[in-house]
Amino acid sequence: MIRWLGAALVLFAGTMIGFIQAARYAERPRQIRHLIHALQRLETEIGFGSTPLPEALARIAQALPAPLSELFADAAGQLEEGRGETVQVCWERAVTERWPATAMRQGEREAMLRLGASLGGSGKEDQQKHIRLAMAHLQAEEAAAREDQQRYEKLSRSLGVLGAALVVILMV
Amino acid sequence: MLHKLLEWLPPALRSVLERLPPQIADRLEEIRIREGRPLEIGYAGLSVFVRPDGACSENYRDAYVPDREQCRTLLERITRHSLYAAEEELRRGYVTIPGGHRIGLAGQVVLEDGRVKRLRDVAAFNVRVARAQQGCSSQVLPSLLDVAGRTIRHTLIVSPPQQGKTTLLRDLVRAIGAGDWRHPSAAGWRGRKVGVVDERSEIAACERGVPTFDVGPRCDVLDACPKAEGIMMLIRSMSPEVIAVDEIGRAEDARAIREALHAGVRVIATAHASDLADVFARPVLAQLAREGVFGAYVLLSREGGRTAHRVFTREQALAAAARQPDGRPFAARDAPRASRTRSPSGGGSGP
Repeated sequence: MIRWLGAALVLFAGTMIGFIQAARYAERPRQIRHLIHALQRLETEIGFGSTPLPEALARIAQALPAPLSELFADAAGQLEEGRGETVQVCWERAVTERWPATAMRQGEREAMLRLGASLGGSGKEDQQKHIRLAMAHLQAEEAAAREDQQRYEKLSRSLGVLGAALVVILMV
Repeated sequence: MLHKLLEWLPPALRSVLERLPPQIADRLEEIRIREGRPLEIGYAGLSVFVRPDGACSENYRDAYVPDREQCRTLLERITRHSLYAAEEELRRGYVTIPGGHRIGLAGQVVLEDGRVKRLRDVAAFNVRVARAQQGCSSQVLPSLLDVAGRTIRHTLIVSPPQQGKTTLLRDLVRAIGAGDWRHPSAAGWRGRKVGVVDERSEIAACERGVPTFDVGPRCDVLDACPKAEGIMMLIRSMSPEVIAVDEIGRAEDARAIREALHAGVRVIATAHASDLADVFARPVLAQLAREGVFGAYVLLSREGGRTAHRVFTREQALAAAARQPDGRPFAARDAPRASRTRSPSGGGSGP
């Protein structure tokens, strides 16, 4: 009896791990897309609105879904607080702290950190160039993420179930 | 109030200035921050260097020296981390922060087609402390009244920089709006609707369009608006009875002032000039003055940290100009004895 209960638990856990992994594969391109939208919005705020950076970031945070909105809200909050820190420091801290909560990987993170080094520090055209560069980088990552999704989403789901089944068979 | 201003500065710099002796801090007028050079402050018409422990001396050798990092942080903070949003300010060479404090900038200039595009590598800051001096206009306002018209005369306030033009203008706006005329024949007059074109955000120090200085109950402010355009906008939209502008001197300003004149609006303006001779020497001002546009001229000068006001009428100014076509000076001391007044208040923010 206990053996069957254990087998059922292992099967359930394995399936869940597979599904969570699959969800991360599905989530990553979506979050990158959101990030690209956010940067597009930032470009508009800077280029046409001349909105000060803290305000622009706060506005973007409001329009984004959960894990990403916190990243932007954090950065905006730290800038508003004004402890005499530069944009780069605040941005890096927000990205590093909030990154584990997202489904995104190293490539996107580097693009964001590189953007942070130039954000706010130059004229409009220059800012737009930097943002577009980051967007291009993210678009490339998005394409790769979609490929990964197609390839691994179903695979990891079935891998979870099958792996669990294997463990169960070995156990029984 | 000074505390709030110091919060804008990088921590190390702030802690030095927080150690200033209170009798100096209370009369602080300027903080001059230059990268790699001694920290200087101006108070009560004097300028001294500040040591790391907050003591002030004439000797610059042991003064505190702000470094490159502090200057960069300061520039980031006063532009709200957004150099792109401060392009216009970097072109004009100053930023006004909440509280109406103007920070003048100097550094390397970037040119485009031979015109200044913006400042790069800002390495010198001049923080000018703005102070509201309520009541500093009470000595001046009575002599500006146009009793027949039950309002004030067109007035030009003239002085060199740092003598309190903006401070006086701000308090005039407040007094006129509040109906605080201080003159027996004006008893019973109501306050007037005042429109302010605040190109440098120094008169009213607006935050999100709302004045942070007391500019009286009947004051509409066009913040950060070019003067000439702003005057026209106010006339069209806000039906002002008095318009106040700071630092006129360009041809389009003069055009807009004439326009206001014919719209039945009274104008109070300020201009940089050391005396009336200077007014008649600056092309745009001279033309306005010779046309007899201004009904009164207020000359400011500072003696020992106190601001003295002297008022000329149009006739006196024109007579003086005719008497001395290019002679100098017909400065404050040539003003008629009777209209000499002296305000008890000290100086305030700059022009």
